[in-house]
Parts: sequence; structure tokens; C-alpha cells
Amino acid sequence: MSGYATETLPFREGHLALVSCGEGSPVTYLHGMLGNPGEHAFLNAMANKGWSVTAPSLPGFTGSSEPSGLRNLHDWVVAASELIDVAGVTGHPVIASSVGAMIALELATIRPEAFDAMVLIAPFGLWDPQDPVADPFATTLSKQRGMLTVDPAASASFFDDLEEMPADLLVEHGVDRYLTRSASAQLIWPIPEFGISERLHLVKNPVTLVHGAEDAIIPASYLNKWAQNLPNVVGTHRVEEAGHQAEFDRPEEVAAIATSALS
Amino acid sequence: MKSIFFHLMPYPELPPDFPEEHRSVWVDIDPALYDPEVGNRTYNEYLDELEFAADCGFDAVGVNEHHSNGYGLMPSPNIIAAALSRNCPDTNIVVLGDSVALYNPPLRVAEEIAMLDGITGGRMVAGFPVGSPMDTIFAYGQNPATIRERYHEGVDLIRQAWTRDEVFSFNGKYNKLRYVNVWPRPVQQPHPPIWIPGGGSVDTWDWCAQEDLVYCYLSYFGYKAGLKTMQGFWKKVQETGKEANPFQGGFAQFIAVADTEKEAWDLYREPAEYFFNTCLHVYAGFADPPGYKTPNTVRAGVEGMVERAAREATARAEAKKSSAGGGYPKGLSFEEMVEKGYVILGNPTQVAEQVHELATTMHIGHLMTFCHFGNMNKDLVRYNTEMYATKVMPEVCDLFEDEYEDLWWPQPLAQPARRDVPEVSAS
Repeated sequence: MSGYATETLPFREGHLALVSCGEGSPVTYLHGMLGNPGEHAFLNAMANKGWSVTAPSLPGFTGSSEPSGLRNLHDWVVAASELIDVAGVTGHPVIASSVGAMIALELATIRPEAFDAMVLIAPFGLWDPQDPVADPFATTLSKQRGMLTVDPAASASFFDDLEEMPADLLVEHGVDRYLTRSASAQLIWPIPEFGISERLHLVKNPVTLVHGAEDAIIPASYLNKWAQNLPNVVGTHRVEEAGHQAEFDRPEEVAAIATSALS
Repeated sequence: MKSIFFHLMPYPELPPDFPEEHRSVWVDIDPALYDPEVGNRTYNEYLDELEFAADCGFDAVGVNEHHSNGYGLMPSPNIIAAALSRNCPDTNIVVLGDSVALYNPPLRVAEEIAMLDGITGGRMVAGFPVGSPMDTIFAYGQNPATIRERYHEGVDLIRQAWTRDEVFSFNGKYNKLRYVNVWPRPVQQPHPPIWIPGGGSVDTWDWCAQEDLVYCYLSYFGYKAGLKTMQGFWKKVQETGKEANPFQGGFAQFIAVADTEKEAWDLYREPAEYFFNTCLHVYAGFADPPGYKTPNTVRAGVEGMVERAAREATARAEAKKSSAGGGYPKGLSFEEMVEKGYVILGNPTQVAEQVHELATTMHIGHLMTFCHFGNMNKDLVRYNTEMYATKVMPEVCDLFEDEYEDLWWPQPLAQPARRDVPEVSAS
């Protein structure tokens, strides 16, 4: 689909990258470990369903610079709060995935007006020692790819180099990929549990939960765990043939769920 | 050139089928493989070997830090250094080193090295590695994206703690200390020499060059493969406009010396194969966590030495999985190890020639020798150690000494002021 716009906005001492597409009611997409995909089937699907999608890159991810002051989760949440204001998406409904869903939930605990309704795809944040979250970093790049999506082709935008890229751009593409993976690691290393279960009662927003049935990182049992801990869950969806980032494996299906939940 | 007898302290009894049956020698090595009785014997034999090397006349003995590692039984190098401190009175001790970012606060490193420097009368070298990803990121849970920043802050704290002559506050990003006051102070002033073991990070080259620190490339893959890395460092030194003093460089090398070349081939085959094909069986997924490398290193395409070993070991394991009933793919042959320069082998003349070539081509004045490697038995270690000390070292010890001053070598108290040996022994 055409009609994508990319922007780079000043953000603290650096900048924030943002893509947008579609016309209609506003919705924000907060990306996961695969970073901000840019022109992508999921964003296309949302746009085709009548949404005006804005997808900012979190600090350090896909085109956004990393502010120097990110020491802990608190710093990340404050940065995210500032980021949605700069991106002009405060108060909009949000679809947030993976690490982005964790940040969205944390922000919702302290700033309820940050988002309207929320669709959360496999958020990090809980930890069950009997059924632990897998380590997505103690693996090779090719195996990590297999953990993030069921279909390797679904994550091509992140993992694959474009054949026509000149050598210098290929190197920078590799560096960007590395920095995005690094930003994920910075957020959730070594165990992605930072006490959010004690704060979840503060999340008043209506939440729809989505979980890929073949998520190789966050076990299937976590869908119910989130549903039991969040005070205002309006729907839970298990998406077949989808991995950790279900919106990459099944873009149309997740877009339909989100549209239904947010309309 | 100084020769340092360096010990990794590998566990010597990993099973022959270890690479086939286990994922990794590092991080998630099976705890059931560790026999405490073997551990007791091994620690004491290894301490004997370090003390023997000191008696043989090595310029220093060297220890390092690894965690959850089947080829490195030294989670605390300072404990081993302490055990050596009063039994090797004429030898310096190179701790290479303490992984600064793992200590909370890193002031502990400043204190322990100061203690060791006090006990030894100033015979310490303080090494500060970032630490491998296996040690720091996986075994010790440090965040790969912040470890280098944390490390540099820690080194800064230690250097300030050793050199400032007043109690001060340190308000770092990761360390907040209202009162910094290292007590005892190191014997060496302003502080023991600082050596930085590196694995090929281009930013570490820059830092060592700028700060006048010794850059040590602790490679397991010999001088032929390590040349490019050391050249990278020397290029940075030249860019700063400083003299390329070989004593600002260090390198590690496996040594296998015997009376005859044939004897060397016979004696050292098994321990070399044990080290390279069993001890270096590291799962590739532990070797390159995102964020551990700096963007400059990623951009330069530099692959760390353990990362490379892990990649090759994992490729062998995966080849086995995908083959139908075939045997486990063979690792390196001893012949390949020698040909590629991983192991310098031969009679004393041959070894001395190769060490000379290594030192002059890499321009390094500090050689960390592995005269023990793999599962070498104690008699063979003594033989290799003595052969190197008596027949090779004399041929290379004068290298660079007339042309350059070693500004990074310990400066102990002079005798008789120095007191560092037991005065009373049990009857």
C-alpha cells in the first residue's frame, strides 16, 4: 500500500522516528522486539480497515536515538510518556506488542490518560517460575527469528537484507538491527519481571489480550495470567499459527481483532 | 620481553563425549559433571604449577576470572592470587583480571588488589576486563546494553579510589557512594599497573591507546590469527601520536616445547585436543548477546575469539543433528592447531624462533604463555614449564628491553624493606 509517511522528530538530545499510514480514526502501534516495521502488512491491514495508524519507534529502536538517561524501567516509562506527547498520539487507542506492550502497561499504571483502549499482544512483564518465559537472547540470530514468528518470511523486514542494498547501507542495516535487538535486551534483561503484577490494579483502560498460539517466548499460560491480573479485560484471543509477534504472522486476523476491540 | 606463566585452570575430567552430549562448556554446563574430589586435587595441583613456574624464573604468574565455566575454575582470581602471594616471593602476579562490572560496588576490586599489593609488597598487576558475554551477561545476569558503560564507570571509580588523597563522594550512573575511602592503599604508587584484556573491540583499542593502558589480546588462536587485532591496536596508538612501546601490548599463546619436535608432537596432542575440541565447546547462543558489542565493533565486523569458537562448535553440533547416523564431526586436528599457530610447538630452538617471530611481528612485550593447557598432567606441565623457562626464555627475554622502558611492570618495594614470605612455619 502507498501513502506511508515517515517523520523524524526532535526528542530530548536526539530524535524519534515515526511512520504513519491510512486515514480514519487514530490508533497507535507500539512495536515489539522486531522493531518498527515501517511499511508492513499489519499496518496495511489496519489502514485498510479505516484506521489512521501512527507507529513511533521507542528509544533506541528502529531509527530512534537512545537517550543517555535510560538507567532502569522507570526511565523508560518516563521516556515513553514524553514520546507519545511528542508523537501527538496521547489519548489514542493503542495496539502494543511484546516489549512495547510491557511499556504501554507500565505507562498506563501511572498515566491512565496516556491511552484509550488497549490491545496487547504477548506483553512481557509476568514471570511464573513453574512456566518461565524463554530466554530470547541465549540463541543465535537465526533461532531468535524462529522464536519471534512462526513463518520466517513474516519477519523478513527485520532479519533480511534487501538484495539491491549497496554494501555500506547493508552494514548500517545490520547495525540498526543490532541496536534494535540491543534495545530489547536493555529493556527485559535478564528476567522480564519488574513487579508490574503489584501495579496492574491501576490499569483502568479496557484491555484486549492477544497471544500467538505458537509463541515460543511467552508460554500460552500467560494469556490467562494477564486476564486474571488486569482489572478491565474485555477480550482474550489466541491466534493460531502465530508466534510471539502474532501481528507479523497473522496480520489480517490480528487487525480484525484490534478493529473489533477498538471500534 | 616478559614471559608470564598463565593458567586457565580447566576442569581436567570432562567426558570424552562431552561435545556430543552437552550443549556448552560454559554457562549451562551440567553441574553433575563436577566431582569435588577432582576439584580439590586440581586446585592444589594448579597452585603447585603456578608456584613451580615462579621457581623456574618466569617474570610473573597470571590468573583470570571465569564463571560457570568448565575450562576456567577461577570465579575469583583474587583468591588464587592471595594463595600465591606468599609462596612466590620473587615473581610478580598478574590478575588479568577482575571483571569490574560484576562487583557491586567495584570498590571491592580496588580494595582486594590493594590488599594483594600490600601482602606482596607491590608485585601486582591489576587487569580489568569487561568480561566475556558468557561470564558477565549470562552467568552473572548483567545487561548487555549497559555493561560497557557500567565497566568504564567502575574502572574510573577504582582509579580515583587509588589515587585521590581524600575521602570523596562518587555519584555515578550505576554506583552511588557517599564515602569512598580505600583502606588499605596499594603499595605501588599511584597504583599497580593496569592491563586491559580485550577480545577485539575496536573501542577498547581506542581507550587503551588514549589512557596509556596495556592492551592484552588473550586469544586462544595464536599469533597468526591475532596479528590483525594487535595491528588494530597499534594503529590507534600511532593515531594518538604516542610511541608504540611494545610493553603496552600483551598476547597469550599456547606453548608446547620438548627436547625434540617429535617428542612434542607425541606429548601435547591429547591436552591440545582436549582444550580446543572439548573445553571450547561453547554454545553459540551465549557468545553474542545483543548490546554487548559496541556499534563500532559491529560496523567493523570484528568477531570475538570465543564467539568464533562457539560458532564453529555449534555448527559441528548442528551438523551432527542433521546427519543421519553419522559420527560427531571431528574438531580441529592437532596438526591444524600447530599449522595455524594456535600452538607453538617444537624443540627449544624452534619454539624460541616462533616466539621471537610472534613478539616482533605483533610488537608485544608481555607474553602470556599457556604452558598448561587442556587436561595436561602435572608431570608434563612441569616439563613444558621448565623447558620454556630454561631454554626458550633466555633466547627471548632481552627482546625490546634495551630499546624501550616497561612502564607497565610492577614496582615492588626494594629488599630488605619488603616482607612477603612466611616467617614462621608449623613444626
